[in-house]
Amino acid sequence: MTSNPLPASTCRTAGCTLTGALSVVTQVTDTVTVVHGPGGCTHHNFSLLSATALDNGRPALPPLVSTDLRETDIVFGGEEALDRTLTRVMNGNPGAIFVLSTCIVETIGDDIEKICQAQQGCPVIIVPTAGFLGGSFQAGVNNALIALAAMAESSAPNGRVNLIGEKNLEYEVEENYAEVSRLLSLLGLSVNLRFVRNITTDEIARLGAARLNVLRDPALIPVGEYLNSRFGTPYITGFPIGLSGNSSFLAEVAKTCGINGTDAVTRERAREGELLEKFHDLAGEGVFFSPLPPDPEGRIAARDLARNVGLRFSDQGNPVPVPVIPPVGLAGTERLLHRWRRAIFA
Amino acid sequence: MTGAAACLAGFEGIHVVIHGSSGCYYYPSTLIGAPLYGTFILENEVVFGSGDRLKEVIGDLSGKGGRIAVITTCVPSVMGEDISAILPENDIILVDSPGFAGELETGYRAALAALSPKVDPKRKGVNIDGVSLSDPFHKGNIAEVTRLLRMAGIPVGTVFCRDWAEMAAHAAPFTIGTNADFASGVGNSLGGTLGIPALRATFEQLERELPEADASRVFEELDLAEGRVIGVCDRFLRRHTPPSVAIFAGAAYADYAAETLKAYLDAEIRFVGTRNEPPAGKKTGYRREKANDLGVVAERIREAAPDLVIGSAFEQPVCPGAAFVGLIPPLQDRVRLTYPPLAGTEGTLRFVEEILNTCMDRVKRRSVPER
Repeated sequence: MTSNPLPASTCRTAGCTLTGALSVVTQVTDTVTVVHGPGGCTHHNFSLLSATALDNGRPALPPLVSTDLRETDIVFGGEEALDRTLTRVMNGNPGAIFVLSTCIVETIGDDIEKICQAQQGCPVIIVPTAGFLGGSFQAGVNNALIALAAMAESSAPNGRVNLIGEKNLEYEVEENYAEVSRLLSLLGLSVNLRFVRNITTDEIARLGAARLNVLRDPALIPVGEYLNSRFGTPYITGFPIGLSGNSSFLAEVAKTCGINGTDAVTRERAREGELLEKFHDLAGEGVFFSPLPPDPEGRIAARDLARNVGLRFSDQGNPVPVPVIPPVGLAGTERLLHRWRRAIFA
Repeated sequence: MTGAAACLAGFEGIHVVIHGSSGCYYYPSTLIGAPLYGTFILENEVVFGSGDRLKEVIGDLSGKGGRIAVITTCVPSVMGEDISAILPENDIILVDSPGFAGELETGYRAALAALSPKVDPKRKGVNIDGVSLSDPFHKGNIAEVTRLLRMAGIPVGTVFCRDWAEMAAHAAPFTIGTNADFASGVGNSLGGTLGIPALRATFEQLERELPEADASRVFEELDLAEGRVIGVCDRFLRRHTPPSVAIFAGAAYADYAAETLKAYLDAEIRFVGTRNEPPAGKKTGYRREKANDLGVVAERIREAAPDLVIGSAFEQPVCPGAAFVGLIPPLQDRVRLTYPPLAGTEGTLRFVEEILNTCMDRVKRRSVPER
């Protein structure tokens, strides 16, 4: 969002449900997603998703197709356009087709379910999305994850760990994954499934085999609950945040999995001290946060980090950036401290 | 809707309100890089009417001065509310521009028409048109064409659409363009500024129409620039075969790219796909058709098997082995901090420079043995 003043109401700016769902379903690489609406709804999401893929060094086009509704479809109904598009997409033999609706389609009342049920071939899965009519960006993410989870059956436990709801539009998504994987490995655990990031429909089958689900953040608790009721998998509510996040994350994972994590926690605490030592030159410098992160968790994490490295809060100090999404683990914290050092001394 | 926003947000003194959902707001706000406002309507406003919400947003803006423009998106457009009746006391520019009504250029034209631009016969200078905030070259184009006009002693009239709002009603009688896809239709058009032949013709016209104009220095610059372009292209052709090219862009930029590459590099133009409807009746020596569906684009690229693709980040991944030069948004493959032009002398120099460097990089890349 731009920084220009907008009418204040956070429920209005919670993002587009369609975009949230697309950030999930387009990560199932052998599927095609049909967006039922005007071409513009697909175009801007396509642009966002392809830009993100390029940022992450994976220059692949998102598998998105629009029903490209025109004025006559809006007047007389878009069901024919949906049927035509599904038939065309089905000819390409995808692993599955996801059908996502848009605001205008919900407004004119197309019967999407009827059209999808009539399709023969691969699974056609409707994900409830409709821009402002469907809820927020996060609602789109959660709806998509639950719709995909419904494709999985119960399977034999394999002792590994699922990562649930990684933020696929996040610039640092792979770095955050690396940090969490490293932490899990300290406890002798490995990742079973990145649900959902760069996977195929076949891989979804092993969703229920994990011993633990690690949610990306607490907004995914409804998904954690769904998976818990479906497969009996316990979950923890978020990736490690801030300086001391790693040690508390390790302790929580160890406790939930019944593992002795004492050594791992001790070693990680030592690394926290080493990191603070590396940035000891920041001690005593005056700073203020610019802009102040909207998320209370982000504010608390940033404030704690600043105190730990000995920064002073001062209106006359240097503005230092604080990410909207708090940094993950020690690796994310170290990157943030480099940015603060640049802001203070550069 | 995005085209309408790109037009109106280009005018200082117009506050642009996107009347629709939050999802509709984010794309234009990120693409055009100008302040926009939004109504961010919710489900209950779709059911019970969005008038109160629109009034609330307009009310927040009323103390800021300037005019307010409301652009309706798909859902408000079909709700059938009489928005001009909802806001009778305000001097609102209302543009009905839902996404299903057409392409970006359609919205741009609708917005400009709603602004009711006028020619002021007393206004000195020449207008520049074809400027859209959605175009990554628009800032560079304005700077470059302004420089050339000044070199010819011609003041700049109104820039459509990047100017003060009141200038729209006081346009000069003559206009030159940077991108015919966004032609304003205001004033008497004296030609375009894409490519050296077009620049020559346009400045000859300017000299004929404006007695005070002296374009001799511009013509000198054009001769010099064209000599440099011919020199480097000729050197390239001593070692390399001309590139085979597929081009994807708006019709005006696509034709410019094709004609430039044909003229200076003897390039083989295998396919030109335009995002908008290409101008009817214009004869080209190459295959050109509208192609704004990525499936069609991918098919045409496969058929053409070009060694150079010009287009956007959408076309780039379809042809990983080909050289690529960005011409239209989205351009997401690298950091961009400068404002390069495509129009004017510098525009052609930069374009040819990038084409040659990209083609030579591709040759080097292919000749490096894999380790």
